[in-house]
Amino acid sequence: MAITAAQASVLAARPPLRRPRSSLVTGVAAGLATHLAWPVTLVRALFVVLSLFWGAGILLYLWFWALMPVRAVEDGKTGDDLGTPPSAALDPADLGTPPSAALDPADLDKPPSAALDPAAAPTHRAPVAWILTTVAVVSLVATWVMVVASANNGVTWASPVPGWVSGVVVTTALAVAAALWATLIDRRDPARGPRHETAVRVTLTVVLGILFGLVLSTSQQGGAFAFFVALAPLLGIAAVYSSSLIEKWRELSRERVRRIREEQRSEMAAHLHDSVLQTLALIQTRAGASSEVARIARAQERELRSWLYDGDEPADSDLPTDLRDYAAALELDFPVHMDVVAAGTSTERASGELAAAAREAMLNAARHAGGDVSVYIEGAASRVDVFVRDRGPGFALEAVPPDRLGVRESIVARMRRAGGAATVRPGAGGVGTEVHLAFGADAHLAASIARTDAARD
Amino acid sequence: MPPVTDPIRVVIVDDHSIFRSGLRADLDDTIDVVGEAADVASAVTVIAQAQPDVVLLDVHLPGSDGDITGGEAVLRAALPVATTTRFLALSVSDAAEDVVRVIRAGARGYITKGASGDEVARAVHAVAGGDAVFSPRLAGFVLDAFGAVAGETAIATDELDRLSAREQEVMRLIARGYSYKEVATELFISVKTVETHVSAVLRKLQLSSRHELTAWASARRLL
Repeated sequence: MAITAAQASVLAARPPLRRPRSSLVTGVAAGLATHLAWPVTLVRALFVVLSLFWGAGILLYLWFWALMPVRAVEDGKTGDDLGTPPSAALDPADLGTPPSAALDPADLDKPPSAALDPAAAPTHRAPVAWILTTVAVVSLVATWVMVVASANNGVTWASPVPGWVSGVVVTTALAVAAALWATLIDRRDPARGPRHETAVRVTLTVVLGILFGLVLSTSQQGGAFAFFVALAPLLGIAAVYSSSLIEKWRELSRERVRRIREEQRSEMAAHLHDSVLQTLALIQTRAGASSEVARIARAQERELRSWLYDGDEPADSDLPTDLRDYAAALELDFPVHMDVVAAGTSTERASGELAAAAREAMLNAARHAGGDVSVYIEGAASRVDVFVRDRGPGFALEAVPPDRLGVRESIVARMRRAGGAATVRPGAGGVGTEVHLAFGADAHLAASIARTDAARD
Repeated sequence: MPPVTDPIRVVIVDDHSIFRSGLRADLDDTIDVVGEAADVASAVTVIAQAQPDVVLLDVHLPGSDGDITGGEAVLRAALPVATTTRFLALSVSDAAEDVVRVIRAGARGYITKGASGDEVARAVHAVAGGDAVFSPRLAGFVLDAFGAVAGETAIATDELDRLSAREQEVMRLIARGYSYKEVATELFISVKTVETHVSAVLRKLQLSSRHELTAWASARRLL
């Protein structure tokens, strides 16, 4: 195929064939119009005109509806994109989205994410369910008129199939279509929802009930055929309510897929646990605690472990988790092995002053001491304690020159400003340094901690 | 380390031959590896036959049935046939659930597989001498599980569900990374007293019926 550069650029410049997330009915016309750079009215008119040819337009429309993916979510661009210039639709993020992503089977049955995130659900401006309901009501009235007319003529069941039977069928079909739309499409729409769905259903039940009564009133002369016609509205009512069964079934199959994935994941976890994690542990043992190889192996082990076991759960940002992550980062940068132990449940947030001071203390230990560093966090109801203990050469706070602000400013003064306390003292047996940070609910705490620590020295 | 006349006789139970040989190469000559096993059944046989002083026991072993880990299965089967043997659990992870399960099944302590040969040797000697081996992580878990953080303190000495004030102090220092000797210096007590406290805590850990412990132990997790 000889495509010239100019042609290629035209092809590339064309926005992808996607349905906008916010649309009038289904977004097919709007999506086509954006793709072809035609006015949307023209596309709609074309569909209408084509429909006159044995319904070709309708078939084409349904075909597009089934196959055209919905545009991927972009922040701030959930609105109607028709008016935006092509360049906006051409941004790399948009082009970079592979079509496979939109066609991903997990994506096709979208509800898990769409149901959780209202912004992600496509919205439809036209109240399609109500329009269909209204047409169903009109059709019901027309059927009634036809029944009354034929009754006046005295030929209720005379001809093989009286004309109003098709009215019954059309009304039922419309009602079912409205119910399906309300359940399967409008339910996820943030602008509508369950209440809208219930209202549509109640209306449709009334419509079909009247239809049933109507058919029943004429069926005395109809025999078996009339009985089957009378069944249609009843089946319709059943279909209206079974639409929520479809939703249930979809949910079940999603749940099953999720469970299978979870099983596969844990199978893989078991396998990796038995092979890779063991090997990484062995590498750490053989390579010596603070060697480069051991550090890399430890970092790899940690990453693998968190991928295996934490899964998709969002990481909470409490103090122990935060300090653990920070320790992992420090281990990569410094020849240090950090052991972070936490007891109790801490309500202290990772963003607090205590966390900042603790990170500073850990950084100090990693930078100046190295080797094994122990971090212990104890969170009680009224106070939180953090101990950072290293086995380095150690230093006394008094010996640090005043121009070195690290410890004095970022740990001790910071804790004091925040209403806590920090003490820096030599570690047990005079080996290394231990930093004790305390943060409590009551104001007297700081003083009492300082006293206790002083008494120990 | 106390002078050892006879080398300590050790059996290594681990399903990874690479790890077994690595560990054997790392141990010094105060420790004599008299047997190895790779699964539950062979481990029980080897232990019953060799009657070692210490068994280095992997927490996760193939060959256990039901809801217990391989390490627990070995402990349950081997403790009655090797009454003088002490068990030191080896775990690839530091997860409290697993560790608590093997300790409640009868292990005298645990170390992670990332520990160096020296650390393993030291732990083996400690266990052989009748002491418990606590890591900082386990000490933190014990403080948590016995309600020490929430301020619960045992009043009677024979109370199983809470720690005494002294035991809490010892556990806190271990959690902060102190060795037994450092704990002793810090609290102005002898190392022997520290070891007594740790053993007491280990006993409580094994015998207590505190809800948190059983909940942890029954939550079967791979980690």
